Amino acid sequence: MSAMLELSDVEVRYGRLVALRGLSLEVHKGEVVCLIGPNGAGKSTAMAAIAGGVPRVAGSIRLNGQELPARKPEQIARLGLSLVPEGRHVFGTLTVEENLRVGGFLRGNARESAAALERVAGYFPRLKERWTSPAGRLSGGEQQMLSIGRALMTNPRLVMVDEPSLGLAPLIVDAVYEILLELREREGLTLLINEQSSHRILRFADRIYVIRNGTIQLHGTAEALRDGEAIKAAYFGFKGTGANANVVEGAKA
Amino acid sequence: MINFLQNLIDALSLGSLYALVALGIGLLFGILRLVNFAHGDFITIGAYSLILPSASVTATMVIGSWHWEALIPMVCVIVIIVAMATDILVFRPLRRSSAPTLMIASFAVSYMIQNGVLMIYGARPKAVNLWSALTTQINFYGLREPVLQLVTIATTIVLMVGLSLFLKRSRWGIQMRAAAEDFRMAQYLGVRGNFVIGLAFAVSGILAAAVSLLFLAQTGALSNVMGVPLALFAFVAVVVGGMGSLPGAVVGGFLVGIVTTMLQAYLPPDLRVFRDAFTFTFVIIVLLVRPAGLIPSRSIVERV
Amino acid sequence: MFIRTALRGLITPLLLILGVAVITFLGVLGGDQVQTSLTEMLIRMVVVVGMWIFVGNSGVISFGHVGFMCIGGYAAAWATVDPNWKSIMLTGLPDFLQNGQYPFPYAVIGGAVLAAVVAIVLGAAIMRLSGIAASIATFAFLMIVNSVYSNWDSVTGGTSSIIGIPTVVGPWVAFAFAAGAILLAYAFKSSRFGLMLRATREDEVAAKASAINVFRVRLAAFVLSAGVVGVGGALWAHFLGVLTADSFYLSLSFITLSMLVVGGLGSLTGAVVGVVVVTIVVEVLRALEGGIALGKATLSLPPGSQEIGLGLVLALIMIFRPSGLTRGREFRLPWLQSRAGVVVSNTAPATGE
Repeated sequence: MSAMLELSDVEVRYGRLVALRGLSLEVHKGEVVCLIGPNGAGKSTAMAAIAGGVPRVAGSIRLNGQELPARKPEQIARLGLSLVPEGRHVFGTLTVEENLRVGGFLRGNARESAAALERVAGYFPRLKERWTSPAGRLSGGEQQMLSIGRALMTNPRLVMVDEPSLGLAPLIVDAVYEILLELREREGLTLLINEQSSHRILRFADRIYVIRNGTIQLHGTAEALRDGEAIKAAYFGFKGTGANANVVEGAKA
Repeated sequence: MINFLQNLIDALSLGSLYALVALGIGLLFGILRLVNFAHGDFITIGAYSLILPSASVTATMVIGSWHWEALIPMVCVIVIIVAMATDILVFRPLRRSSAPTLMIASFAVSYMIQNGVLMIYGARPKAVNLWSALTTQINFYGLREPVLQLVTIATTIVLMVGLSLFLKRSRWGIQMRAAAEDFRMAQYLGVRGNFVIGLAFAVSGILAAAVSLLFLAQTGALSNVMGVPLALFAFVAVVVGGMGSLPGAVVGGFLVGIVTTMLQAYLPPDLRVFRDAFTFTFVIIVLLVRPAGLIPSRSIVERV
Repeated sequence: MFIRTALRGLITPLLLILGVAVITFLGVLGGDQVQTSLTEMLIRMVVVVGMWIFVGNSGVISFGHVGFMCIGGYAAAWATVDPNWKSIMLTGLPDFLQNGQYPFPYAVIGGAVLAAVVAIVLGAAIMRLSGIAASIATFAFLMIVNSVYSNWDSVTGGTSSIIGIPTVVGPWVAFAFAAGAILLAYAFKSSRFGLMLRATREDEVAAKASAINVFRVRLAAFVLSAGVVGVGGALWAHFLGVLTADSFYLSLSFITLSMLVVGGLGSLTGAVVGVVVVTIVVEVLRALEGGIALGKATLSLPPGSQEIGLGLVLALIMIFRPSGLTRGREFRLPWLQSRAGVVVSNTAPATGE
């Protein structure tokens, strides 16, 4: 089975700082893959590199076997890859509807884009209620929904979600994950999700990568990693003794 | 009373010119963080495009003698081409540069355009007669106003409404606003960054072309630095209104226009020569009270 | 060891001054034309180094410094011009200027002080603005100065010039002031204030968080910088012998800013190098405009090429070498470098601890 998305030996630098050093991972069609790691491990950089937001100095990123152009985010979006960034990044002065429409313009066809708008509105009844209010006035959870809905408007095959739980109450986070899984079912999406904690991920993900210091420390199926010990060791960079188990599990909760 | 009303119409007419210039500048600032000094020179080019390129003192109209229905689009096209060319040649290579760098680059562009015009058309100002019919005055219950003033105000209103509809309703307008707020995010969603910026330059070119015609019809004189004072007043207007906010640019433009006209009308004669100094002092005082301008832009505050 | 440390601290300004001295010495051997250009360059160096004290350290572009040059130049001229002439042309001057005539050094001090005082007032008003808004406000200031000085007939002579200013500034006088400006600028850069100000340039929010009063450090630099530029104006007046307000406007503002950017805003070396390089470029273009004999034909560029050429140089530098010719580094001798790395880098973020 060949990978839908494949990163091999990707290196990214910010000035002298090496953010990703030889990162390799793959995501297969229909999977939910999770990238977990502490703050500053390189999770967001990895997604930005895939989406074309930061230049890479080495390595290759392929989508369906085709090399992605570096630093061409608007082209990459057209290849069916969409990013829901950390911190949501909704356009605060645009209305909910306008935010969604921005995502739909690359479809080129007005009727198709209107149909997509209809469908997204169906997934997010809460957004439908706030249709004409500026996105900046939405609550954090609503903004997260909007950000996901907006990504959906670009007609993606693979959606990358960067820390969907950041700054949200646990109940809201559950709702966000539910909708992500529903989208996977009904839209046939493939998902790559960044998280700081393995708390929820173990229930939702098919496979998990643990990233630290810009490289993958560990990967495996969610089944295999269920007990959390191996994750913890990789996450902190030492052989776990069990004493810190709660730190990993509870980092976000 | 009649006198005051006349002054008020003058003020609104000047204010609308400043508002149009400020909109052109504010639009690019919103999207690119570019403080475009060359905007005034786009206006100069619009005015010079009416006449035959020659260094002779008298101006020979070419496009300037066309019927207005052909003249206006032609001038717009010329200014749009120049505006987009500056983007492609100078600002596109500087896309990732800081705001101060962009500002100095635009200063350099401005300087080059001014001297380019000087090279082609000579240094001496030229007299041009554009649409002299518009200077006839109409009498309205003792209020005597040149038609031109009213045309200026009307044009400004039409352009402002047009721009606002464009930004609110059209697909390109929405993408432009999205890009203005969060350029990178817009790109992640497939918005073609360079295209949207080029479009913004084109729109600011149309605004500059409109100003060049209205201004030239009023003053009747061409000079290679004619756009500079307009741009400088508009900058100040943009800052007073609140950088990055288009309603702010309009409000600032009208405010600066009104203050200037009223100072001209009501300052004692021997202080009148210092009118601009008073205007700018007023501006600095406004900024003291409201450092972020009258209508601060939310997106900028959030960025900091 | 002690000498080595002291030398290390002073090596940059000393090397710069030495370099400028060599240029001055070579220039003085040339003809009148060369000497004139040389003096002009050295005075501009005073102005640009003065501007750098504020612009280079704070990262806030100022278009208004030429206004301080104007203020300094006029103040100095008021002091040194023949009282008989003043009593006819400048009837609005205060008594001590109207009837007195003062030696050149006093005039220079007067120019610096007046420019600095105006900078205190202006700076108090605009240094609280964000960087870009402050830049535009300095533009407004330039326009105010221009409007006042070209219209206040009884004090500035209005659009007619002030003439008969004693022309006491030659290459070596200008060199002495340029050297002084370099030392002063370097001292400021190395001072606590300079360090704090550069921290605000890198990251205003972080600098504020580390308890730096951005307003106060910016204002201090602004005032010092205006004073030095005011000296430059005084020198200019006593070099040309004639003053018109319009010569202190957009063109000069453009040229001085180009000098800063071409050399590199990030370092004092950049300011000095920028002045020399831009002067050479401008002089070459000016010569080409005047016409150069190539065999039988004369090649001459049309008027305006000088300005367009300078604009082009500036644009190319910004596109291909955004941090200027010096890349924001200071001129040093490698063997005097500290191994411990105490040297504060200009490129790395200097967010205080």
